[in-house]
Amino acid sequence: MSVLPWQFGNVPGPKTALKLNGEVAGRLIKASKKPLIVVGAEALKTKISEDKYLLDYSIELSKLTNAPIVATSNTLKAFLERGYTPALVLGSVEITDRLRDSRWSVDGSEAHDLVIFMGITYQLQSQLLSALKNFALHLKTMSLDRYYHPNASWSFPNLPHNKWVENLNMILEILKKEKE
Amino acid sequence: MGEKGPLKFSFKKLKSTDVSLEDVEIAIGRLAIEEEWEPMGPTPMPKIETLREWDMKLLRRYKPFYMPFCDLCCLCTYGKCDLTAGKRGSCGLTLDTQQGRIVTIACAIGASTHASHARELVEQLIERYGEDWPIDLGSEVHVEMPITRLVVGIKPKTLGDLAYALNYVEEQIVQVVASIHTGQESSYMDFESKALHLGMLDHVAMEIADAAQIVTFNFPKGDPEAPLVEIGLGCVDISKPVILCIGHNVTSSIDLIDFLEKSGLGAPGEMIEVAGLCCTAHDMARYRKSAKIVGPISYQLKFIRSGAADVIITDEQCIHTSILYEAKKVKAPVISVSNKALRGLEEVSDKPIDEIVNMLVSGKVPGVAILDLEKAAAVAALTALRIAPLRKKFKVIPDKKELIEIASKCVKCGNCRRNCPIDLPIDEAVSLAKKGDLSKLVELHYVCLGCSRCESACPRGIPILSLITGAAEHKIKTEKYLVRAGRGPIKDTEIREVGSSIVLGEIPGIIAFVGCANYPNGGKEVAIMAEEFLRRRYIVVASGCAAMSIAEYRTEDGTILYEEYSGAFEAGGLVNVGSCVANAHISGAAVKIANIFARRNLRANFEEIADYVLNRVGACGIAWGAMSQKAASIATGFNRLGVPVIVGPQGAKYRRLYLGRKEDREAFTVYDARTGERVWVGPAPEHLIYAAETKEEAMVMAAKLCIRPNDTTKGRMIKVTHYVELYKKFYGTLPDDLHMFIRTEADIPITYKFEILDYLKKIGWKPWEKPVVDPTLLKRLIRKPK
Repeated sequence: MSVLPWQFGNVPGPKTALKLNGEVAGRLIKASKKPLIVVGAEALKTKISEDKYLLDYSIELSKLTNAPIVATSNTLKAFLERGYTPALVLGSVEITDRLRDSRWSVDGSEAHDLVIFMGITYQLQSQLLSALKNFALHLKTMSLDRYYHPNASWSFPNLPHNKWVENLNMILEILKKEKE
Repeated sequence: MGEKGPLKFSFKKLKSTDVSLEDVEIAIGRLAIEEEWEPMGPTPMPKIETLREWDMKLLRRYKPFYMPFCDLCCLCTYGKCDLTAGKRGSCGLTLDTQQGRIVTIACAIGASTHASHARELVEQLIERYGEDWPIDLGSEVHVEMPITRLVVGIKPKTLGDLAYALNYVEEQIVQVVASIHTGQESSYMDFESKALHLGMLDHVAMEIADAAQIVTFNFPKGDPEAPLVEIGLGCVDISKPVILCIGHNVTSSIDLIDFLEKSGLGAPGEMIEVAGLCCTAHDMARYRKSAKIVGPISYQLKFIRSGAADVIITDEQCIHTSILYEAKKVKAPVISVSNKALRGLEEVSDKPIDEIVNMLVSGKVPGVAILDLEKAAAVAALTALRIAPLRKKFKVIPDKKELIEIASKCVKCGNCRRNCPIDLPIDEAVSLAKKGDLSKLVELHYVCLGCSRCESACPRGIPILSLITGAAEHKIKTEKYLVRAGRGPIKDTEIREVGSSIVLGEIPGIIAFVGCANYPNGGKEVAIMAEEFLRRRYIVVASGCAAMSIAEYRTEDGTILYEEYSGAFEAGGLVNVGSCVANAHISGAAVKIANIFARRNLRANFEEIADYVLNRVGACGIAWGAMSQKAASIATGFNRLGVPVIVGPQGAKYRRLYLGRKEDREAFTVYDARTGERVWVGPAPEHLIYAAETKEEAMVMAAKLCIRPNDTTKGRMIKVTHYVELYKKFYGTLPDDLHMFIRTEADIPITYKFEILDYLKKIGWKPWEKPVVDPTLLKRLIRKPK
C-alpha cells in the first residue's frame, strides 16, 4: 500500500520508498556489507525516551553494526561529549555529494552499499535522498526518522512517537540477536 | 516608453587596404559617445557564450550538485516524462539537465523581475525628471554603478543611460529564456552557465533600479548615518487611518507620501499612517523616516487580519496572492498599481478620483487597479480618511475566548503540520489551545512564515494563522524596533579605508545577510548570526527581509543591533544597504575593492574582476530564508562574481548547489600569476553555494568561506582564529581540515598555537612549499609565462 509523504506536497514521482518496519529494517541493515550512518542536528533534540536522544541511538546502532557515523552540522560536539568519535565530520550536503561517487567511501576502500539517514531536517533530508535516488544508483538509502521519506529506498511510514521508538528498538534487538 | 537605445555595432579590429581601425563602436539612433574613462575591457555586453569559459572554470571546481524536487518533467505535451534515476524524457532530456534547466528558469524569472522593475522605474522617472537627470550618488561615490561599468562597459551618467543599459539586460534574458525551450540546450553545465549569466544580468538590473530611485527620490547616498526608522508589527499608530503599501516598487508609495504632504495632510504619521511591508517599506523609509516598516513578507496576512490597514496598495513582487480575499475579510479595499498584478480588478485609471473613492468606500468593489500612480495616491489617501471611521479597524483576529472556542473544533488530523513549509508543530499548539493554554501558539508566532497553507489544509476550516496572531496579540503590540534606513552604495572612501584590510585578510571578512523570510526557525536566527559576526568585527551587510529580521531582536543588554553598531562599511559595522535591488551595492562593493583598492580596470572586465574577488575578497552571503526566484538569481549572480553563498535548509529546494571537494587538489590548483606555476592553494573558498542545516553550521562555514588564497600571514591567522573559535564553540574541537588552511607556522593563531601544532604534527603536516602566491584562474594574467 502506498504511503503519503509526511509533507503532503512532497510527491517526487513514480519511484517512492518501500515502507519499512523495525524488523525489516534490522534485517536489511544486517544484510548490508558496508553500511554508513549519517546523523543530523535534529538528533540532538529528538528524544526517544526520557533520557535518550536519537543521537544516542545512532551510537548504539553504530556499535552493533560497526557502521561508521558521519556527523553533520553541529552534532560532533554531542558525540564527543558522549565519548564517541564519528568517523567523519561533514555537512549533510557534503557527505551526500561524495556518496554520489561509486568509488568513494569513508575508509577509502570499496563503496558503501547502504546509507542510513537520521536526524536531518525533513525538507533537507528529502532533497538529499532525492540526490542519491537519482544520481547514486549503486547504493540504497534508508531513513530511520519518524516520517515517511518517499525519496529513500526504504523509510518508516509516518508513525506516532511510541510506535517509532518500538520500531527503532526492534532494529537493535534484531542486530543484538545476530551478535549473540 | 523611454529611450530604447541605439542599434549598436562594435569591433575590436577592422582592416582593409586603406583603413585600419581598432576598438570602434558605432551607434545608430542614439548619440552614444562614451568618454574614455577607462580603456574598453575584453567583454562589453557579454553574450551567453562570452563568459562561458569563466563559468566552466568555476563549475569544474564547484560542481553542480543536484537534488531534484520533482523527478518528472511536465513542460510539454510529450509529458509528463519520468526522468527518475537516469531515464530520458521524450525530448531526450535527462534529470540532471532538467535540474539545470529548472535552475535557469528560476534565475530567468528572478532576473526578469528585477529587469522589469528597473524598466518600470526608469521609464516613470524619465517621464518625470527627464532622460538627462544625472546619476549623482554623492560626493564620495565616484565609481558609481560598478556592476554596470563592469558588465555593460558604460559609465552611466543620466537616467537615459540606464534605459540604454537595460536594453542589453532585456535582450540577453530573452536569449537565455529561448534556450530553455524544448529541444534547445542539452547540457546541464551549459544551463548552469546560462543561470550564471542571468544572475550577473540580475545584478545589473538591480543596480539600475536602485541607482534610479536613489538619484531621483534623494534616498541616502551611502550615508553610514542614515536615520534609524521604526519597524515592527506594533509600530503603527492604529488610532489614525492606515495605508499599507506592499511590494517592491516604491514609486506609488512615494507618490502617496508626496500627496499627503502637498495636500495638507502632513508627513506620514501626522494624519495618516503610511506603513509598508517587504522592500517597498525599506524604500519608503529611505524617503521619509516617519514611514513605518511593518516587517518582512511573512507579516502580510497577520497585519492585514489585525484590521490595522484601512487601505492596501499593492505594487509588485512577493505579495500574497490571496491579498484581495484577505483584505475583503477586514473590509479594507485594495489598490493595485502594477500591471504585473492586476488581481482581476477593474482598471479605473481614467475615472475621476471622487468616483473611484466612492466605489471603494461604498464597498461596491473589493478593490481597483489604477496604473496612474499619482491618481492612485490621491485615491488611497482620500479613501483611507473616509473609510477608517466606517471600518473601525475591523479585524478577524479572535480574542482569547473566541480563540479557545475555535480551537476546540480541531480533530487533531495533523494536516496543518503536514502542510506547513517548515513542519511546525501546529497541531500540538492548537490542541493545547483547546485546553486554554495558548503558550505554544505564541511560540509559533515567532517562527511562523505567515503563509496560511495550514488553513487551506484544515478540514474544519480553522483560521490557524489568526489563532496564532490572536494568541500573541499582546506581544505583537509591543513589537517595536529600529532599523537603519537603507543607505545605498558603499562609498569610495570607505573602500579605500578597508580595501587593504579585506584583501590582506586583516578584516576577517564581509558577511552579507540577504534574501527572504523562509526561515527554518524564525528571523531571530539571522540576528543571532549577525551579532556573532559583528562581535568578531567582520563587516556585516544586510538587505531586504534579512535586514529587517536583524532589527527585530534585542541583545542580552536589550539593545537593537542597528543602535549598537555603526552603519559604516568598516570592521564591526552593520550596513543596511536597502531593499532587494540594493543587493547590487554588496556585489558592487566587492567589485569596487578590485577597482579602487587594487586598481584593476573595471570597464567590461568581468573575468579579471571576478577572478580577483574569488581569490582575494573574503566575502560570503547568507541567505538564510531564501525563498523566491529572485533570491536564486541574486545568489547565482554573486557566485559568478566569485562570492560564495550559504542558504538555509529550505534552500535545498532550489535543487542545486555548487560544491567543491576539499580533497580534490587539482580543483584548488591555480596559476601563480608571477611565474605561471600551477600551485595548490587549499580549498579557499571551498564552496560557491552551500545549504546548512543549522545556524551553527552556517556560522562555521561562513567563517571558513571567507578564507582566500591571497590572505597574508596575519590575515590568514585572523581568519583561521575565527574559524577555529566558532568550530570549537559549536563543534567542540579543532576542525579536521586545518592543514588545508595553515600554510606555514606563522598562519597559526597564537591562542591555539600548541594545540594546533600538536594536531598538525599528528597528521604529518609540513609547511607548504609555496605558501605565498599571486593566485589566478586566468592564464592570460600570468605576467611571466613559464
